[in-house]
Amino acid sequence: MTKDRRIQKLAIANRGEVAVRIIHACRELGIRSVLLHSEADQATRAWRMADERVCIGPAASAESYLNVEACVRGARAGGADAVHPGFGFLSENAGFARAVIDAGMIWVGPPADAIEAAGDKISAKKLVADAQAPTVPGYMGEDQRIDTLVEEAARIGFPVIVKAAAGGGGRGMKVIRSRAEAPELIASAQREGQAAFGSPVVFLEKYLDRAKHIEVQVFGDFTGQVSYLMERECSVQRRHQKIIEEALSPSLTPELRRAMGEAAVRLAEKANYESAGTVEFLLQDEKFYFLEMNTRLQVEHPVTEMVLGVDLVKAQILNAARAFQVWPQESLVARGHAIECRIYAEDAYAGGLPSTGRLLGTHWPEGPGRRFEVGVEAGDEVTPFYDPMIAKVIVWDESRLRAIRKMQSVLTESVVMGVETNIPFLKEMLAHPEFTEGRMTTQFVGQHFPEGLASADHQARRHNELTRAFASFAKTKISRGATTGSPMGSEDPTRAVWSSPWRLM
Amino acid sequence: MQAIEFEFEGRRYKGFVASQGSETWYHVDGRTWKEATSTRRRVGGQGKASALEDPRVVKAPMPGKIVKLMKAVGAEVGAGEVVVVMEAMKMEYTLKSAAEGRVAEILCAVGEQVSLGAELVRLEVVV
Repeated sequence: MTKDRRIQKLAIANRGEVAVRIIHACRELGIRSVLLHSEADQATRAWRMADERVCIGPAASAESYLNVEACVRGARAGGADAVHPGFGFLSENAGFARAVIDAGMIWVGPPADAIEAAGDKISAKKLVADAQAPTVPGYMGEDQRIDTLVEEAARIGFPVIVKAAAGGGGRGMKVIRSRAEAPELIASAQREGQAAFGSPVVFLEKYLDRAKHIEVQVFGDFTGQVSYLMERECSVQRRHQKIIEEALSPSLTPELRRAMGEAAVRLAEKANYESAGTVEFLLQDEKFYFLEMNTRLQVEHPVTEMVLGVDLVKAQILNAARAFQVWPQESLVARGHAIECRIYAEDAYAGGLPSTGRLLGTHWPEGPGRRFEVGVEAGDEVTPFYDPMIAKVIVWDESRLRAIRKMQSVLTESVVMGVETNIPFLKEMLAHPEFTEGRMTTQFVGQHFPEGLASADHQARRHNELTRAFASFAKTKISRGATTGSPMGSEDPTRAVWSSPWRLM
Repeated sequence: MQAIEFEFEGRRYKGFVASQGSETWYHVDGRTWKEATSTRRRVGGQGKASALEDPRVVKAPMPGKIVKLMKAVGAEVGAGEVVVVMEAMKMEYTLKSAAEGRVAEILCAVGEQVSLGAELVRLEVVV
C-alpha cells in the first residue's frame, strides 16, 4: 500500500535565509511550517515567520542543527509530515534521511542510497565512470617507481601535482611544471611523505591552475525522469567559500553546455537520483572534469530560478509529495542573466575578519528584477555560532553586463548597520576587468584580492568629502534617545520587544 | 536606523544613521562605516564628558529651545515615553527616554536655549 504522501506540515531543519526561503514555499503551497531552531536563533526572521517553532537545542551546531536525534524528535513533536533539511548541516547525511523516514515522515530530498552513493569517494568514482563523465586525469597506482611516476606525469600533461597519499588539507603537495624537474620533485615528495605522514606513497593529479568552477543543476522526479537546469559559474571564491555566483556561465558554448548537462544527467540517473542536486565540474581550456556531486539544494539556487523561471524549493516539496513531474528538457530555455552576491558579516577592510553584533537596521532596495534572501533584521543578533552569511542579493537582467551594473546599483543602495559586511569588497570584485570580461578563474580572489580590502590604498579610499560631510550633518540630526524606536524595515509591529538594546531585568 | 535626506555639491543622497551606545553607524552613497559616538559637552560646559552614551540621560540632539517638560522629578518614565519637547528650526521635537526609570534630575528649564548635546534630564533606572 502506498503511503499517503500529502504534506500538510513541513519541519525545517535549518536556519537563516534558507529557512525563510523554505517558509515562503510552504506559504505558497498552503503548508504549515515548523521551524526547528537552536536557542541562539529565536530572534531571527525565520523564527518570526514560521507557523510553529520547536527549539531543538543549544546554540552549538553539534547539539542542535547537526544533532540527528534532536531534529527528528523536534519534527515529530511539531507534528510534521515531512522534513526539509535545507543545505549544509544534515542535508547530505544519509543517516538523517533514514531516521526521518523511519520516524514515519517524508524526506524532502534524494533517497538515502543516492546520498551515500554520491558522497562516498569510491562509489562516486564508479558512478562517474559508469556515467562516462570525465574526471581530473591522475594516477593512483601501486607502482611507485620514479620512472613510472614520471611517465604517468607526462601522460597526464604538465603541470601536475604530486601529492602525499597520507597527507591532507593541502599539505604534502608539489607542482611539477616540466618533465625535467619531475624526477627530483617526485623523489622529494616521497621523502617528505615518509617523514611527515609516515608513508612515501604519492599520487598524481593534473593541476588545473586556471580553472573555472562550473556546476550543473539537475532535478529528478519520483518517476525517475531527470533534467538538467543549465549551469552556474561560481569561480569567485575564497578558500573554497563561494562569494559571487551567476547563471549562465559566460564561458560555455552551447556544445559544452549540452555535453556537461548530459553528463550530469547520466550521473544522476546512475545514482537513481531524485529531487534537486548539483554536479560540480572544473573547466579549463574547454575541457571539463568532474569534481563532485552535491545531493542537496545549494545556496546559489536562486540564479538558476531567475534565468529559467522555476521554483526549485516548491519543486522539491511537490516532488516529495509525489505531485510533481520534472520540467521537460526542451522546455528549459534560459533567458537573460542572473548574479548572486553573498552578504557576509565580515570586515573587508580588516581582511575578512568576522563581524558579530546586533543589527541596528537594514535596507534592501526594492525594485524590478531583484531578490533579497535575508535571515536577520534590525534588532537581531549576528552570532559567532554559525557561518557569517546573513543575506543574499540576486539580480536578473537581459544581459550579463546589465546584470553587473544592476548589482552595483543595488549594492550601493543596500544598507546593513550594526555589523560590518563584505558589500564594499563585492563591489570591487564586480568592477574588476577580469570579472566584467568573464575571464575569472578560481584563482581570481587569491590573485587580485589576497587581503580583501585591507591594503592601505583601499583603506584610504574608504572615505571622501561626501562621507565626511554627511557624518557632520547626520550628527546634528540624530535624535538621541529616539533611535531605539521602531527599527526600519521590520515587518511586525509586535517585535519592538526584540529591538530594545536595554533589557532591564 | 533613521533615513536622512542629504544634499552635497548639487546632488541629493538618501543617507542613514543609527546609534547604539558608543557606536554610531553612517551610510551614504554606498559606503557604510561606524564611528565612536562623539562625546558631548554638558549645559554650561561643566562636568566630565562621558565616553559612553548613557541611556539614562536625555540630551539635546540639536541646538534649540526647551518648550515643555513632560515629567517632574520623581516621576516614573517608561521606555519610549516623551520627557522633553523642544523647538529648533521652526519645528518641535519630542525627546523620548531610552530607558525605563524615574526622573532623578532635571537639568534645563522651559524657555532655555540649549546647545547640541546638552544634558537635559537624568533618570535613575528602576531595577
